[in-house]
Amino acid sequence: MKREVVTCVKCLMDSTDPDIHFNSGGICNYCLEAEETLPKYRYTDEQIGANIGRLLQHIKANRKGKYDCLIGISGGVDSSYVAHLAYKWKLTPLVVHFDNGWNSELAVSNINKILDKTGFDLQTYVIDWEEFKDLQRSFIKASVVDIEMLTDHAIVASMYRLAKENNIKCILSGTNYATEHGLPSAWVWQKVDLKNIQHIHKLFGRQPLKTFPTIGIYKSFLYKILHKLDFLEPLNIINYKKLEAMEVLEKEYGWRYYGGKHYESWFTKFYQAYILPQKFNIDKRKSHLSALIRNEEITLEQAREELAKPLYTVEDLTQEKEFILKKLEFTPEEFEEIMQAAPKRHDEYETSIHLRKKLSSLKEKFNF
Amino acid sequence: MLKARVIPCLLLKGGGGLVKTKKFGSPTYIGDPINAVKIYNEKEVDELMFLDITASKEQRGPNFSFLKDIATECFIPLCYGGGITKTDEIRKLLRIGIEKVSLNSVNFTNPGLISEAVKLFGSSTIVGSMDVKMNLFRKLRVFNSKTRDTTKLDPIEYALSLESRGAGEILLNAVDRDGMLAGYDYELIKKITDAVKVPVIACGGASKLEDIERVVKYSGASAAAAGSLFVYQGGNKGVLINYPNYQQLEEILN
Repeated sequence: MKREVVTCVKCLMDSTDPDIHFNSGGICNYCLEAEETLPKYRYTDEQIGANIGRLLQHIKANRKGKYDCLIGISGGVDSSYVAHLAYKWKLTPLVVHFDNGWNSELAVSNINKILDKTGFDLQTYVIDWEEFKDLQRSFIKASVVDIEMLTDHAIVASMYRLAKENNIKCILSGTNYATEHGLPSAWVWQKVDLKNIQHIHKLFGRQPLKTFPTIGIYKSFLYKILHKLDFLEPLNIINYKKLEAMEVLEKEYGWRYYGGKHYESWFTKFYQAYILPQKFNIDKRKSHLSALIRNEEITLEQAREELAKPLYTVEDLTQEKEFILKKLEFTPEEFEEIMQAAPKRHDEYETSIHLRKKLSSLKEKFNF
Repeated sequence: MLKARVIPCLLLKGGGGLVKTKKFGSPTYIGDPINAVKIYNEKEVDELMFLDITASKEQRGPNFSFLKDIATECFIPLCYGGGITKTDEIRKLLRIGIEKVSLNSVNFTNPGLISEAVKLFGSSTIVGSMDVKMNLFRKLRVFNSKTRDTTKLDPIEYALSLESRGAGEILLNAVDRDGMLAGYDYELIKKITDAVKVPVIACGGASKLEDIERVVKYSGASAAAAGSLFVYQGGNKGVLINYPNYQQLEEILN
């Protein structure tokens, strides 16, 4: 029997998320939680000034080498805006771009425009495509939901490495509560779960991992404690609004929007607009748009209109699917078979998540 | 219409990954060629050149299946060079969608291949390619990248001989300039363009748009090819594919 889908009265989240629950007024837990948390991220102008002052002071005090801080840039809104802030605040960051072989033209031209104007130094981490392809194939074959954790994992690992190499103590991250809160935990997996990556690849991969940058749980703890690496989140201290940020970037840099959260990568677009909805019945736009509703950037009506738009036009899908399958070396039949296979949970494979929980509780206990 | 063509020159290693060299050595991995092609497509590039730098050394022909993947993804006229020794291979390359082929190492062992190929496929399809390097006596000589020998051959005479055998274009690569970001070898290129009538594609050393302007206006190159300039951003050599827009090219070329 098919259960009816229940949707929150204030946002787009619905009961296709297995963990959602509603109060008696039909409001979902994400809205309720945001109602409590968002005010903590809202500041007066004076407070923002003080926040920025403290942040810059901290960055300057921790500068050891040539650079104040490290900024990872993808060409998307959040990371581009962090680079813009660094420019406005007259910081000297090392900008790092992670190239996993799926960059769109828009992504690289956005990064170029920002670097042209700011004059910041760029370093790229180019992943070995043959190896990364094999890894992505493994995850697709494993039928687990978070294929993108591979890129996220490698980004974090390479950022740690580059920060250490360049003697940088502060990493400015684009992570922010305002536009990213309320992502259902069933839609993603822990990025740091190296054991999960390794086991899945052992089962489905064709070649061993040699150059893929990894960071295990112990190593990440060590980095944070021994090298005193700080992840700073400037977007969390300035009343961040995505639409305003886009306007600034367009006006000041000639930056261009790419039509969807994380669509700066060909694969991410295909993953979010095809694999997730088709195989996992997940439409990430629901969560992204709902966050913007709660951040008072768009109305529920506008969000509904946006959600009603097709994820792909038929023509785009045909073309992009062909390109992506060719790049990943899947035949259409092979890929179709995988799409039909039942989704699997990440913890049906080996995982280090339990260890992580233990370490976290240890961390709390000893307060480091 | 622009007065000269501006061509990203991309190097393949082992028939697969993209690399960028310095003085024809120390290849640095810079990513997946197919994705590079997809980005250049949207940047409205005039022409794209792929050179497989290890094919001749490894004594193998072109990697056809891989080149087919590239060619089907590429909406830009494509020139390929690397490991070609037979007219059959050229035919196969043209069939999979490559527009032009560049012959280099084979010219040392089978100089007749150019004329043979021109007869079969027309001169506009055949690029005669030559590498030039300074020898111990500081004289510029033709370089054989397969054996890594600096020959005794004079570049001007060599260029004339490529032309006389029917090559529709000459690709001139200055080994000592490759990847050094210090400008083209303007004088060498000028000597060659003065000597031959066919178009010359200059390669090696471009670091900014002014270099392209100079190699076209001063040295008389019909096309400027560049690697580093279009794959790196800034002095740190961050890998970031880029290409000037039409307006920028118009400003420097017309």
